[in-house]
Amino acid sequence: MAKKPAETSETVLDIRGLTKSFGSNLVLDGVSLTVAKGRTVCVLGPSGSGKSTLLRCVNWLEKPDQGAVYLSGRRIGMREGGSIPMSSSELARERARIGMVFQHFNLWPHLTVIQNLAEAPIHVQKRNRDEVMAEAAALLDRVGLAAKKDDFPSRLSGGQKQRVGIARALAMKPELLLFDEPTSALDPELVGEVVAVMKTLAESGSTMLVVTHEMGFARETADEVVLMDGGRIVESGEPSAFFKKPKTERARQFLQRYVS
Amino acid sequence: MTANAFLSLLQGAGVTLIISLSGIAIGVPLGLVLALVRWRRIPGLSQVAAVYVSLLRSTPAVTLCLLIFFAVPTLGIEIGAWSAGIMTLAFVTAAFNCEVWRAGLLNFPHEQVEAARAFGMTPLLRLRRIIFPQLWRAALPGLVNEATLLIKASPAIAVIGVAEITRAATRIGAQTYEPLPPMLTATGIYVAIILVFVGLQRLTERRYGRGAGA
Repeated sequence: MAKKPAETSETVLDIRGLTKSFGSNLVLDGVSLTVAKGRTVCVLGPSGSGKSTLLRCVNWLEKPDQGAVYLSGRRIGMREGGSIPMSSSELARERARIGMVFQHFNLWPHLTVIQNLAEAPIHVQKRNRDEVMAEAAALLDRVGLAAKKDDFPSRLSGGQKQRVGIARALAMKPELLLFDEPTSALDPELVGEVVAVMKTLAESGSTMLVVTHEMGFARETADEVVLMDGGRIVESGEPSAFFKKPKTERARQFLQRYVS
Repeated sequence: MTANAFLSLLQGAGVTLIISLSGIAIGVPLGLVLALVRWRRIPGLSQVAAVYVSLLRSTPAVTLCLLIFFAVPTLGIEIGAWSAGIMTLAFVTAAFNCEVWRAGLLNFPHEQVEAARAFGMTPLLRLRRIIFPQLWRAALPGLVNEATLLIKASPAIAVIGVAEITRAATRIGAQTYEPLPPMLTATGIYVAIILVFVGLQRLTERRYGRGAGA
């Protein structure tokens, strides 16, 4: 259990008062949250509590009704001043600063593993192809998939696909990594390999916002745990305190149900 | 049937091929543009595209061909029989191709597009790098099917005097009072053309088949 101090108090992600409704259903009810550089924050909560929507609002895949998202001090989704939405190319440029890992991997099946990694760095960030390919190969080595680099995703197991998904996010050299239930679609015996990779990332100083049901990961790796319910943050704190002595009744109920 | 008659049938085949291929070359991309306009629900244009497709799908090619040939000059634009023929085939096939492309777009896995958005791809880049490379493979059988229908509908343009295969065959039959040999030859030529098309489709599918499917 490697607890690292925040190297600086520099805030990477600053979420302020987000609200979001789907029709008459209020999914986010004024959520504020900050993630400092190099820290890992885990968002827990029952399904339907708004965790995934919160994550998707960070990179504007879902447009919040109210509130603001700042990445290293720069507003996402809205132009300076906050009343004019960004154009699709402006938004694309901001999104490229954030890496995202999906529950269902969402790899591109017509590209090989290494092409999946190199696609956005080459075509979005316009970086040098040889450099990107060399880095992508190194990243695949880091997630233990160097041998699979020229395979198509359809030939990989779920755990391998997700490790490619993580490497693909890292290839963008993002300021922030978002994980949307990265292990929920995996067979139980494949969860470990993905969690191991995520732990290494957290320990090497990546800034991560992780929506997960993987309590072991939250307990051992997170710097902060946030519990959501009904579109609100009901409790947050250090994992040791949260898992041992939750402050709220709602957190106690949640832990009883989800932690065996 | 004389060698001369056979030669004029071959000439007709050349005309059929040129006009059909031109129609396909215009109609396939035009169909894609129409499909994209409808898929992205571009306000105004989307409705125009929908009306266009409904109208063109319900107009017989012969009627449309005559309409273009006689209506366009009234707008002060000169139009030859060949241009009118190519336009007819292109406009008709674009409407059907639109529906083929659109089915492919509607079936395209949403998660892949979502990942592309999250990775900072603009709509155009998503289309070019993620959607289209997979879309055309999915649409190919439908597009080739529509192309074969187009080739078989091409005799419609004989009505404005373009000497394609069927018109050549009719003329030979009328001259020799033996319609059967030229008609049988014409049929053989159509079959050969269609078989080449389907063969090319098979070849393409085999060549680019790998890597598809999640």
